[in-house]
Amino acid sequence: MKHLPTCTTRRPRLRSSVPAIALALLLGTGLVACGEDSADSAESGGSAEAADSLVVTDPWVRATIGSEDATMTAAFMTLDNDGDEAVTLTGASAEFAGRAELHEMAAVDGEMGMRKIDELVLEPGRGQLLQPGGHHVMLMELDGELAAGDEVELVLELSDGSEVTVTAPVKEFTEEAGHYHDHDSHDHGDDDHADEGGTKDGSKHGTKGGAGDEQP
Amino acid sequence: MNPSLGRRRLLGYVGTAVAGAAAGAGAGVVGAQALEETPAKPARSEALPRVVSPYGVHQPGVAAHPTAVTEVVALDLRPELKRSRDRESLARLMRVWTGDVESLAAGRGTPGDTAPWLAAVADLTVTVGLGPGLVGEEWGIAAPDGFARVPAMKHDRLQEEWTGGDLLLLVCGADATTVGHAVRRLVADARPFATLRWRQQGAWRGRDEQGRPQTGRNLFGQVDGSANPKPGTDLFDTTVWIDRGPWAGGTTLVVRRIRMDLPTWDELTRAEQEESVGRRLDDGAPLTGGTELSDVDLAARKDGRWVIAEEAHARRTHPSTNGGRRLFRKGANYELVGAGGESETGLIFQSFQRNLTGQFVPIQQMMDAADALNEWTTAVGSAEFAILPGFGEGEWLGHQLLA
Ligand SMILES: [Cu+2]
Repeated sequence: MKHLPTCTTRRPRLRSSVPAIALALLLGTGLVACGEDSADSAESGGSAEAADSLVVTDPWVRATIGSEDATMTAAFMTLDNDGDEAVTLTGASAEFAGRAELHEMAAVDGEMGMRKIDELVLEPGRGQLLQPGGHHVMLMELDGELAAGDEVELVLELSDGSEVTVTAPVKEFTEEAGHYHDHDSHDHGDDDHADEGGTKDGSKHGTKGGAGDEQP
Repeated sequence: MNPSLGRRRLLGYVGTAVAGAAAGAGAGVVGAQALEETPAKPARSEALPRVVSPYGVHQPGVAAHPTAVTEVVALDLRPELKRSRDRESLARLMRVWTGDVESLAAGRGTPGDTAPWLAAVADLTVTVGLGPGLVGEEWGIAAPDGFARVPAMKHDRLQEEWTGGDLLLLVCGADATTVGHAVRRLVADARPFATLRWRQQGAWRGRDEQGRPQTGRNLFGQVDGSANPKPGTDLFDTTVWIDRGPWAGGTTLVVRRIRMDLPTWDELTRAEQEESVGRRLDDGAPLTGGTELSDVDLAARKDGRWVIAEEAHARRTHPSTNGGRRLFRKGANYELVGAGGESETGLIFQSFQRNLTGQFVPIQQMMDAADALNEWTTAVGSAEFAILPGFGEGEWLGHQLLA
């Protein structure tokens, strides 16, 4: 992982498969997409992109079919920073969504709600769960319904300008069904939320009230 | 019989603290031991559930040592997808399942799991296959050589509810809670594409008291599977794995639900029971001598009679009786208990072979014609699946056929 070849041009990644995501792809697809010389530059500690360090696992997007407000939904996944430097997510985008934002859940005036965050910092060796009841990628102004069984692509944007493309299955999820429709437009913009690291097996942690350990 | 046996059993309970002292204490005790070279030292830690990597040339569940729980699940592709031969939907289902298999094998909930706390490290493997309705020209998916429905056997009493299917999930693991959770998530995620056809759950005792792999027993009490080719050998590879074409690394599976009539079996004397199989009941050794793993001596005669009877199961299924044909078989014992306490008992028999028509069918026909066990066994369900080749990290199940 330390000696990933890097490319100066950005390339779509994690495209060929849903579960995709991980090291093998970074090594595999990335290597193929790179020029032969650029493979060496990484060894000499050249310009590694943050995208090379970001490992995405278990992505999925909540279906909108049957929901009260089919214009918005959320994407969930596990993020890991496998590199030596901090990775900062600054946003997201998707062709099927007019707007995409990074969100967290937090208590606002005593009530749990979600709000936009400007960035999500992953320290080296740390991760962050994006899960129902916690952080997520909010997808708004959808151009159509998302049905369970569909497959979508979204792009995670990083602070150094590099990007990671994630292919995710659309799945049914009934818990907290109303949660991602009642969009709270509070725009806090504070960034101190981002330093709690998730864990790799964090899916074992509760999803309900998952924001309880956060101190926004 | 063997003085060290009692001691070894005892050591099995006291656990790992004495592992060093006990090492090598009882070499030579074989019992129903499947793997000859397994170290004789207590192996409790070996028996602890682990993560089985889902990646490789083959799906790992085929060759994996039998786990305590096996669940076989058949699904049917939704009619509209089947009518339109929707390969793209089939590919998407395979990608969703791939993500599920990766997380479940690692002990994580699946993406979107409603109860991820039920996922656990449990030797979990998920083996995926396609039924006869999804392979062939109309799907643009070449069928593996010899892949076809098993022809009717005269002893079969097949019931629709346990027969056929378009898609297979063979889920194996250390405990029923984890396996059941995995099945529910996989079936739920398949819902946009496929509906459940049947589920069959069974149990197997694949480890001895000390955690060492053993062959295991069916509900007749027989050590069952002694003659299997051993995973990792050339014999296993040529018996099981398809070696060319888009299915290379895959295999074929026949699932037979075999009802076993325990009350009438219990009426036999032990000698009659052993003669019907050709093996001893206590340790599975052939009636012609040796240990469980010794080959049966089909030429042996005593007092002018065959020691292994002509209709004994071990003779009817022996490769030399079948032109050298072999299978790799696994079993899972089932007992389906009704509301009144009556039960149906039997074996969920799984036969893996490279060529279904070339291997399984003639051996099954040889048994059907005259196997002594036919008197107490009846196939009540049957299904055939082409088992997909394995996949690597970043790849998905079936990409060799559907990409
Ligand atoms: Cu949100």
